[in-house]
Amino acid sequence: MPKCLVCYKWTLDEQDIKIRPEDLSLDSSRAKGKISDFDRNAIEEAALLVEKNGGAVDALSYGTATVKQSLKDALSRGPEKVFWVADASAENADAYVTANVLAAAIRKLGQYDMILCGEGSSDLFNQQTAQRLAALLGLPCLSFVQKLSVEGDVVKATRKLEDCQEDVTVKGPVVISVLSEINKPRIPTMRQVLGAAKKPNEEIKIADLGLKPEALEPKAVRKSVKGFVMQRKNVIYKESSAADNVAKLKASLASEGLC
Amino acid sequence: MAGIFIFSEDSALAKQLLTPALELKKSLAQPLTTFALSEADAKELAALGADKAVVLQSANKWVEGFSEAIYSQVSKAEGSILLVGGTLRGKHVAAYVAAKLNAAMTTDAKTLRIEGGKLLATRVLYAGLAVCEEEVTLPAVATIRARTFLAPTAAATAGTVETVTVEGDSRVAVNQVTSTTTEGVNITAANKLVAVGRGFRKKEDLKLAEDLAAALKAELACTRGVAEDEHWLPIERYIGISGQTVKPDLYLAVGLSGQVQHMVGCRESKVIVAVNNDERAPIFEAADYGIVGDLYEVLPLLTAALGK
Repeated sequence: MPKCLVCYKWTLDEQDIKIRPEDLSLDSSRAKGKISDFDRNAIEEAALLVEKNGGAVDALSYGTATVKQSLKDALSRGPEKVFWVADASAENADAYVTANVLAAAIRKLGQYDMILCGEGSSDLFNQQTAQRLAALLGLPCLSFVQKLSVEGDVVKATRKLEDCQEDVTVKGPVVISVLSEINKPRIPTMRQVLGAAKKPNEEIKIADLGLKPEALEPKAVRKSVKGFVMQRKNVIYKESSAADNVAKLKASLASEGLC
Repeated sequence: MAGIFIFSEDSALAKQLLTPALELKKSLAQPLTTFALSEADAKELAALGADKAVVLQSANKWVEGFSEAIYSQVSKAEGSILLVGGTLRGKHVAAYVAAKLNAAMTTDAKTLRIEGGKLLATRVLYAGLAVCEEEVTLPAVATIRARTFLAPTAAATAGTVETVTVEGDSRVAVNQVTSTTTEGVNITAANKLVAVGRGFRKKEDLKLAEDLAAALKAELACTRGVAEDEHWLPIERYIGISGQTVKPDLYLAVGLSGQVQHMVGCRESKVIVAVNNDERAPIFEAADYGIVGDLYEVLPLLTAALGK
């Protein structure tokens, strides 16, 4: 019966971010928050494991003050309790700072059999948190997992890599990062949403984590962020005759030396 | 602090990493050491400009388990930069080492340079929507994906080769490894690609794209949905942020809308062509040439025209 902890990030929904054409800066004023996509898979996987094997799931998040907006959503997806660290340092945190905070919070919370993360966050996609947590906590790490099961204290996983699938086993405790294909996160039912309001959440003050000030100073500082602009010719053929369009496209490809 | 280090379990990618590493070596005036998994690879890397190539020899073949050994080598030398091939195994190793070094890690760096004693690296954010430049305190770790750089040509003097015996991670037992490269096709090496999306109504209809690919001497690629949701094509053919990154001369996208998560994997293609029935599909903004039309009508005509 595994005791699971899922780490998740409250991010901006990138679908709502627009690029300002005049200076290529990002306009996120209309972007709503969401639990990062892959982290939803991690929450779902922990919930499924516990539904099947018994045990318990808690969730943990580190963010700015906006992290509080995530608590109900997280709890409606399965976890029994959510712990949160809200601090301004999260605004510019790199993966180094994030892992320092999460690892310190996990040490404070006590032992878990499985710590789950998404493969990467949908905003920064650093793909580092699980491995960093394993390094900091001295635990083994199974990254990029597409299939997961538990038998007693043995965790069985299938990792999906570029050219192979790798079946691995570890005797817990272990840190795991999951791929999006591992499951389809539930859409919480009205009952689950209402139930979430009754579940507990607990703030962990960053000052209580015993971190040195330098552990909260990012080692990677973003100097500039610019919208990516495609520089393309945008020659589009849209006559009613498909044959004409094809002839024109063939001529274009020939001019590029491609046919 | 001294030393630039390279690791990739993919020997072709390790060679490509030498190119940015040799530039960093010039800027920092520090020796360049590369790790390798076999003596043959080590010799090749040494011949291409690494001052030293270290063979990591272990009874345990799980590459991720070498993280601790790589960390201790880099840390012992007080290394300033570690470049790691941006495969998933590489990212596992890189993030672990970065955590142990109390260092930042730039994921999938596109460019790297030294300025004011720090590493300046560019990378994408928000699944490719934006590009950012970050300033990283040394020691720093960065992953670099395949084909971001070309491998260098042979160096004037070859470096030395040595072997160290390392412990793997005995906590993780690898029971079985199943190859998923069903056909041995490497679409990242193709000069031309025909990429298909869910504008195709059923699997059998991909024949239209196969015929076009044959006429163009192109390989078939696809979106994530086609590979992972529909299972119409093997996963090694899907292009995007979590799939393959390609830079062919021609990327002909058919029946795919051009979401940023897909485009980030192909937007460095030389020429992008789109066929889509929705004139407002974002793929047309990303295309050099395009035809607005029904792919079921356009593809047979295009195949016939190009086959001539």
